[in-house]
Amino acid sequence: MGNKQTIFTDEQLDAYQDCTFFTRKEILRLHGRYHELAPHLVPMDYTNDPDVKVPLALIVNMPELKENPFRNRIVESFSEDGQGNLSFNDFVDMFSVLSEMAPRELKAIYAFKIYDFNVDNYICKEDLEKTLNRLTKEELTPEEVNLVCEKAIEEADLDGDNKLSFADFENMISRAPDFLSTFHIRI
Amino acid sequence: MRRMSVFPSGTSLGNLGLTANVLQQEDENNTSELVSELANLSDRARIQAIRSLPMSYDERRRIRSRAISVKTSKNIFNIDCSQQVSRSFRRFGASVASARQWLVVWHGTLKEIGGRFGTSVLSYFLFLKWLLKFNVFSLIINFCFITIPQIVHAPNISNVTGFRGLELLTGVGYFNQTVLFYGGYNGEVIVSKPPYNMQLAYFFTIAAYLVLCGVSLIYSMSRSFQKNFVLESGPVSGGAWRLLCSWDFSVVNEKAIQNNKNNLGTQLKESLSERLQMKHTMSMSERMKYLSLHVLAWLLSLGLAVGSCAGIYFLGIDQLTSSLNHNPNDLTAEASTLLLPVVVSLINLIVPLLYSLISIMERYSNPRAKIYISITRNVVLKMSILGILCYYWLNSVPENMVCWESFVGQSVYRLLIIDFIFCLFGTFFGEFLRNVIGTTCAPSLGVPEFDIARNVLDLIYAQTLAWIGIYFSPLLPVMQVIKLLIIFYMKKVSLSMNCQPPKHTGRAAQMQTVFIALLFFPSFVGALSMVAYTVWSLKPSKYCGPFQGLQTPFHTILSWTVYIQNLPGTYWVWWIFENVLRNELFYYLVTLIILVITYFLWQITQGRKELIRTLRQQIVNEGKDKAFLLNQLQNTQKQRRQMASFRYQEFDQTLHFNPNWINTLPLDM
Repeated sequence: MGNKQTIFTDEQLDAYQDCTFFTRKEILRLHGRYHELAPHLVPMDYTNDPDVKVPLALIVNMPELKENPFRNRIVESFSEDGQGNLSFNDFVDMFSVLSEMAPRELKAIYAFKIYDFNVDNYICKEDLEKTLNRLTKEELTPEEVNLVCEKAIEEADLDGDNKLSFADFENMISRAPDFLSTFHIRI
Repeated sequence: MRRMSVFPSGTSLGNLGLTANVLQQEDENNTSELVSELANLSDRARIQAIRSLPMSYDERRRIRSRAISVKTSKNIFNIDCSQQVSRSFRRFGASVASARQWLVVWHGTLKEIGGRFGTSVLSYFLFLKWLLKFNVFSLIINFCFITIPQIVHAPNISNVTGFRGLELLTGVGYFNQTVLFYGGYNGEVIVSKPPYNMQLAYFFTIAAYLVLCGVSLIYSMSRSFQKNFVLESGPVSGGAWRLLCSWDFSVVNEKAIQNNKNNLGTQLKESLSERLQMKHTMSMSERMKYLSLHVLAWLLSLGLAVGSCAGIYFLGIDQLTSSLNHNPNDLTAEASTLLLPVVVSLINLIVPLLYSLISIMERYSNPRAKIYISITRNVVLKMSILGILCYYWLNSVPENMVCWESFVGQSVYRLLIIDFIFCLFGTFFGEFLRNVIGTTCAPSLGVPEFDIARNVLDLIYAQTLAWIGIYFSPLLPVMQVIKLLIIFYMKKVSLSMNCQPPKHTGRAAQMQTVFIALLFFPSFVGALSMVAYTVWSLKPSKYCGPFQGLQTPFHTILSWTVYIQNLPGTYWVWWIFENVLRNELFYYLVTLIILVITYFLWQITQGRKELIRTLRQQIVNEGKDKAFLLNQLQNTQKQRRQMASFRYQEFDQTLHFNPNWINTLPLDM
């Protein structure tokens, strides 16, 4: 710690500390991890904010994300272009929201984005079906999948439009106290 | 754009005709409002608010710099100085936080466990770590305030027996007169520059530690309750929750994820089949049958508990009489004192297994009830065993023994050690052998599941013993710390090698709250009341320990307050002690006030529940309104288009179209 590192300026580290849930040391460690993903692409010197993006294919190979059924959606939700190419700031942002210190409201917003496969700001039945297929593979027959998704919408939809808006989703999250600890990836 | 957009695309509001300019203007207005709000907050609140904004990092950074510049433009004087100072304070605070994080032990190990087994199994290890903190703290303060002064000014030890190996198990002999037990301390005032009163030090250290424990437990319990016990109105354990909220993102191991997927599929199938089959209402005779089975099961469990307690009590009395008559150098007689702890540990091992057998014959409405009832029965068993032991120690032992506090301390020590040995064996036989059997000989049994409830209850039992023993053996936390460390590593190894994660994980957060609540009551409250009874009413032994010769240990405080009364300038301390703390009226008043406040808060909660119900109904109504109005909108637009296509042919017709239709929409749509 201290003035030995030359990756970031002090102002940059202050900004990272104020805007994310990580400390300086963790930011430097994250930079190390980010650099590992694409050593030829990511510079070691970030003092002049280089515009470097690591593609989706390299990020989803991280051990923390490799086996996650939603890895593509997670990375896409945090990317600027929606295609999954993350700059270092997006990378830090992703793990900051997924860390254990992020508040429930923030996690709910991004969880909603992740489950919203067709990016229309509603979780409709097709989104739920895709979620279910990723979570259970070949366990359930198509009729069962259909039934489960219908029941889910019936339970959670409060305003009766047959899809889950963010308000419905947040209401459901507020009644699930485990959410804070399960929507969490350690790095 | 990652920001949550105010106007969702794809709805019919899109063709209200708002241009991109208007949207951008709206965005800019929102940002300026946000920045001015942030600039008005204090530094720490601003940082928290910025961290919680749902925007990309670059936008947050921009907003942060704008907020800071707005704030500094307001305070023109001393910009540089105060900014530098506050920035260096924040950097210092952050470096302290990261140093503290480095001190956090086992971070890598916990991450690995969470990654393979999920958060509910991880909660067991976090609970263990939390208990470890209590014990390390107690060890440090006991060592500093009680043991070190005693070692420095050692009393004359009368008869020292040589060290034999058996002491490690039984705690008598060589350890008898050491600082490990109560008897090794004496209550003289150590003559040094400020005179150090050993009696007061002993009393206050233990009292302060127990009070701090109590406060910390109450705080954790209430925070956990607030986070995890929410108003469960409406179907919570249904498909929606399981689908969207229960997937554990922290699991990274491939096999574990496959396991979780299978479990989820099984649970969904089960809940579907439960819904599909008609819930047959049970006939009266069936209901009576199940009720009588429940009653029988409870009677059996309570009977087993009472039987074990009686057995332990009579065995204890028997041991007492035999130990009074034996030669101190008789090894077999000393080893026979281990009989009681072994019996207690055997009961703690076997009776819960019997309980699980009993519960097979019962039928529960939901699996959660089964877990809670099993936990209740086990807690009743363990606490009644501890209760009968305390009764035996506080009633039968003081009349019959010379240095009875040391005897009690040694009994607790023996119980803890034997419990630890049984835990080691239990892990070996319970998990390792069962794994071997389950994979090779009888594959239908399968790999054993990690039983979180049973392990946590074992931890709570051991911690209760440690809290009881603190007064009688101030260095007991040493053993507890060593024990917890070894158990941590052993359980971790056994987990990786032998077990699989539990299948029904739901409601792990509620179970956390239940465990913390169990740690507070009956565990901590019981230990505290036992120590309080000892200090308040029992006559300490005459020839050993720091309170020798007094009527009760509490008399130290009384004589100290008399001493203070005579000191000039501290009359008010004595006055508070005599007229407020020792006055019963004070406690009646405090209780009355607390009851009134509790009733008041309960009424507020009821009112809020009603409010939530009404608001939920209102949301449903608003949804219907919105659907109706969108319908209207689409109809009128369709009409408008039709009218426009007819216009070229019939331009004399007046339109029956209301051009002010946009004013009929609700403003906040």
